[in-house]
Amino acid sequence: MSSERPERHERPRLKPLGQPVVVTVRTDEHGAPTHVRLPGKTARRVETVRERWRIDDEWWREAVSREYLAVVLDDGRVLTLYHDLSEGLWYAQKD
Amino acid sequence: MSKASPRAHGVPTHRGRGWVHSSHEPSAPTTWTPTTPDSSWVSGPGAAAAFLPAAPRATTGSRQALCLWLPTFELRLELVRSPELDSTSVALLAPGESTRRTIWQVSERAYDAGVRPGQLVSQAVSLCTSLTLLEPDPAHYDAAVDTMLEVLGDITPILEPAGHGRVFLGMDGLGRLFGSPHRQVDRVLRSLFRVFPAPLVAATRAGWAPGKFGAWVAAASAQPGEPVLLFEQNLIRFLARCPVSTLPVDPLVVERLERLDIRTLGALARFPEPSLVAQFGEDGRNALAWSTGRRIDPVRPWHRPRPIRVSLEFAMPVGLTETLHGALDRLVERALSRPARRGRSVTGVRLGAHLEGGGSWFVETVLREPTSVRERIAAPLRAKMAIAPPPKAVVTLLLELTHFGAPSAQTGLFDRKDESGREAGGHELAQGDVPPSLRDAVKELKLRLGDSPLYRVVEIDPWSRIPERRHALLSFDP
Repeated sequence: MSSERPERHERPRLKPLGQPVVVTVRTDEHGAPTHVRLPGKTARRVETVRERWRIDDEWWREAVSREYLAVVLDDGRVLTLYHDLSEGLWYAQKD
Repeated sequence: MSKASPRAHGVPTHRGRGWVHSSHEPSAPTTWTPTTPDSSWVSGPGAAAAFLPAAPRATTGSRQALCLWLPTFELRLELVRSPELDSTSVALLAPGESTRRTIWQVSERAYDAGVRPGQLVSQAVSLCTSLTLLEPDPAHYDAAVDTMLEVLGDITPILEPAGHGRVFLGMDGLGRLFGSPHRQVDRVLRSLFRVFPAPLVAATRAGWAPGKFGAWVAAASAQPGEPVLLFEQNLIRFLARCPVSTLPVDPLVVERLERLDIRTLGALARFPEPSLVAQFGEDGRNALAWSTGRRIDPVRPWHRPRPIRVSLEFAMPVGLTETLHGALDRLVERALSRPARRGRSVTGVRLGAHLEGGGSWFVETVLREPTSVRERIAAPLRAKMAIAPPPKAVVTLLLELTHFGAPSAQTGLFDRKDESGREAGGHELAQGDVPPSLRDAVKELKLRLGDSPLYRVVEIDPWSRIPERRHALLSFDP
């Protein structure tokens, strides 16, 4: 019997941090988020939008165009969301 | 066995009538009288604690108990040091008080003059103008107790001190070594001659019975030099005639029982448990269990971790609070840096002093949470010192770490750089500098998992406007 250890899957040497997560967002008629549902969680009402900023970058390769919002949920949590303007999806991201 | 006089050493040991007793058939106590001027012998220091329900443990402990009791232990020790005061009016001041000082223990002459424990000094002096007041010396008393326990430890390993002057010994299984119960008690009392002068040993009362309560009641009813032995078959009959004041319960409960004309344990035992519980709660239940002999508290082996002691002797006696605070800080630092403390947090600490002109002073505190931070240990001691400062200038300041948290072999991964782990402060790790503890942890994880599951946070583009571009995790394998 061979005493060699079985080959293990080689782990990636570099792991990204702060990757965005797709979330479901309900918006009002002006496009402002009213409800947010994180994956596997129940939907929470957005109490207020604290801050809003926009990023347009890397136009020289794959253009990044995002509208960021720092929102306060009804349970008091502060969440950073962004709306990807090129693909139309909403994401939550640790800033 | 020594047949010394009950009044040996000039200290009241038995006031008047007392109990008639014999070794095997203890006859009925005719009258119960307090055996010391301080009638609160049941509620003395640590008295109730001795009867607290022990934590659930395996069958450790000894059912057969021997109680040794030396009333006014501290005053007797003082009189041994100052024999010239033996036949005078002497009172020992209560420790831990700074402003309204009260009397703690009194000699027989002082008692006859009307001086009582708990009285203010001014009252006591006005009642007895020739009264000699003695400052308490807790360090001396503690040392005497320690010496006594050391000697008794040669006879039985199961020892349980219960306040000054009282100790319980577990006697299970000693018959084969020392013979009959009489011989066992005799052996114990004789061993005390090794550490105490004869008058002190002669004044010691001994009670031998199943359980601590029975042993305590037997000792309290005994006369000096004439131990009382109670056996299973006699226990309930003996207890039935004991006064309710023997119960180690809240004094208010005893007071209410007496008002209800329930004066003996026998009278108490006639009541149904639900009625007593309804009136007195848990105390009622316990009182009934003791009265009927149903509750037998075994003597539990007493464990006191070896304390870490440090001291600082001043060139000149110091009375300045700021100087004492500074010295306290230095002492805490020194105590914490002792190798014996390594890996353990501190939960109990004691600060003491030898005072100018004799005497000692102590304050003690239990910390809210285990800690090894200097300030968290020193702050409560400073507060205690402010409430009860040393009554005289301090010659030597002493610090004892008395109780410790659970020992832990775990070391912090990032805060201990050197192998010895003596440095408690955190270290700023230089670039590429890996602490040995972290290197060892990675090695162990690799052995178990095949490769290192640890990662290091690295900067990719820290100023990027896109958050996920700024940092990443890089696998860590030093």
